[in-house]
Amino acid sequence: MTTHPTLAAIDRYAAADPGLDEATVWSLEVHLEECADCRARLAGGTTDGSRALIDRVAQELDREIAAGPAPARRRWFRPAVRHRWAVAALLPWVSMTISVLAAAALLGHWMPSLPSFVLLVAPLAPLPGVAAAWSRRADPAWELIAGTPAAGLTMVLRRTAAVLALVIPALAVTGMAGAGTPTALMLLPSLAFTAATLLLGSLIGVRRAALGLMGVWTAAVVAPSLAVAELPVVLEPASAGVWAAVTAVLAALIFLRADSFRRLTSY
Amino acid sequence: MKRSLDAADERELVRRVARGDRRAFDELYRRTAPWLETRLRRRCADPDMVADVLQETYLAVWRAAASFAGDEVKGSAVGWLWTIAAHRLVDAFRRRARQAELPAVHPHETFVPAAEDEVMAARVGQELEQALSVLPPEAREVLRATVLDGFSIRETSVLLGVPENTVKSRIRRARIALREALS
Amino acid sequence: MRAVSEAETATTIHPWAVQAEALQVKAGRHLAVDGLDLALGTGVHGLLGPNGAGKTTLMRALATVLKPAGGQLTLLGQPVDGRADLRSVRRALGYLPQHFGFYPRFTVREFVSYMAWLKEMPKAAIPAATQRAIDRVGLAAKADARLKTLSGGMLRRAGIAQAIVNDPQVLLLDEPTVGLDPEQRLDFRELLRDIGTDACVLVSTHLVEDVAAACTEVVLVNEGRLVWQGTPTQLTAQGDASHAGDSAAERGYSAILRRSRAEAAR
Repeated sequence: MTTHPTLAAIDRYAAADPGLDEATVWSLEVHLEECADCRARLAGGTTDGSRALIDRVAQELDREIAAGPAPARRRWFRPAVRHRWAVAALLPWVSMTISVLAAAALLGHWMPSLPSFVLLVAPLAPLPGVAAAWSRRADPAWELIAGTPAAGLTMVLRRTAAVLALVIPALAVTGMAGAGTPTALMLLPSLAFTAATLLLGSLIGVRRAALGLMGVWTAAVVAPSLAVAELPVVLEPASAGVWAAVTAVLAALIFLRADSFRRLTSY
Repeated sequence: MKRSLDAADERELVRRVARGDRRAFDELYRRTAPWLETRLRRRCADPDMVADVLQETYLAVWRAAASFAGDEVKGSAVGWLWTIAAHRLVDAFRRRARQAELPAVHPHETFVPAAEDEVMAARVGQELEQALSVLPPEAREVLRATVLDGFSIRETSVLLGVPENTVKSRIRRARIALREALS
Repeated sequence: MRAVSEAETATTIHPWAVQAEALQVKAGRHLAVDGLDLALGTGVHGLLGPNGAGKTTLMRALATVLKPAGGQLTLLGQPVDGRADLRSVRRALGYLPQHFGFYPRFTVREFVSYMAWLKEMPKAAIPAATQRAIDRVGLAAKADARLKTLSGGMLRRAGIAQAIVNDPQVLLLDEPTVGLDPEQRLDFRELLRDIGTDACVLVSTHLVEDVAAACTEVVLVNEGRLVWQGTPTQLTAQGDASHAGDSAAERGYSAILRRSRAEAAR
């Protein structure tokens, strides 16, 4: 707004003149919010009563400010609040996962006669992180968060993506380091297991689902393979397509169960 | 130092307040308090209540400036001041309503909803301001509270002491009247 | 200036902010709320009942974090049972769980603004809304202290601050006075009454005195059902000297409970 109101109008407004018509008051108020010069003009025209009130409040403010703590400086080195919990809750689990992968790779290096450890544990790699991402134990504010509009599948997926963003590169690097382990078989089963955890988690809770799946995989695949010293058929290169298909189907099913992530039962 | 304070706009002042600069705070108060006081007084006849709201508003500015300036929030510092004051004003009205009497437990009054159409434009301009004069006072009142002052329907209801559905129907009627006046 | 949308000015046609009909909610396998009918409007409602009466389960169902197993539940005119979209209702909700967890390294301000962000408040409104909520619970002096350094009563108030930060239309507080000293409880009652002028507040408590002093209405549940609903004055009129309790309100409370148990036994 470029046309400034007249000084007379501002003075009448400042003096709380009841005769000032509504249209003028309206445009004055809109203008005053945007124009520092006219606010300064207004300050010159206020009534004695107003000035006394403003001085009184200024003294009160002095007292309150002196009594209270200094305002907290903004701490630039702190990450945004909404990312910070993730650092605290996820990093321990993800770093543990990465160390386990590294240990498995070393083990495979020293004992080439056994089937690839890395390949056997790779499907489970994201699960500890995923479990921590949506768990009563890892997130103390779980009940508060579950009741907010932001809670739901989108939030679960965002947190899962944060886990995968750390775990997937670790898997890929380990896969490439160990000669002869196909990268697709490192990554696809882990994605399938992530999807299965979320789907099962929508029914019984993500943490329980992750623990259950880890147990089943260890008992049904890892232990027998180590016993017979042979890679199971599900981790043969030919199964990659099946893993991809399973992942896609499970992911689609998760969306059908989306609404259950808004309730406590998914925790 | 003094000169640099004079040259700073309100936004810059808030940024300095965020760093705990007491002189910038005083300057901000000196520049904006008369405007805010006048605007509040037009909405509340009780000078003690205006003083309380003014004090709470500037205390909040002192305490929360860091998060306002830090989050790189878009929008004017003066508009931010008004928003703080507006919410505190409603709180003061709530307090007064409570002290007057304990509200009885009452269901919202029931009405059949009237079919209505478009959204009222945020930018209305000169024409609307002129057209305002054709409205009955109680319709102007609700428009001022919602459109100009940014109060929610609920807050307007507390402020004017009328039920929410009355606020809503007045806005709808005002909209129809304005549309006729503007066409 | 702001735009006033059409949806905002649509007349409110739901008579009650909270309405439950034959509501059933499970806590684990057990039906903790079983056939409860309830209608709450604007005001402060005190939820009373013996331990195990289903108060917390009811609160969780009203906070939409538990899905009802049966019956109907409507909040602000929108159904929240079954596969309802909860987003818009939740924006108008404030909830303080009985045992609320928090991030110990967050400051009060960070915690409240994080919750405001999760409640999908406009980003620009969050700093001022946070400060206002902190001021209203009387925690201004501790706004930038980390949560782990706060006393029990202060933590409780931080919890209340996050519940009211979005100016909820339905505010649910589960045992909010635990850990508050007598003076803080008086301040808290004032705050409740302020909020209750234009919102529906439901406070679960085991302190009959709090209810008598701060509430416009008393809701008494036992064994998952609504046993009695009325004003605090009506509650005190229910009992006489023959009933257990140190005050008229407590005697009224035990009289109603005894009567309902006798009816259930028949």
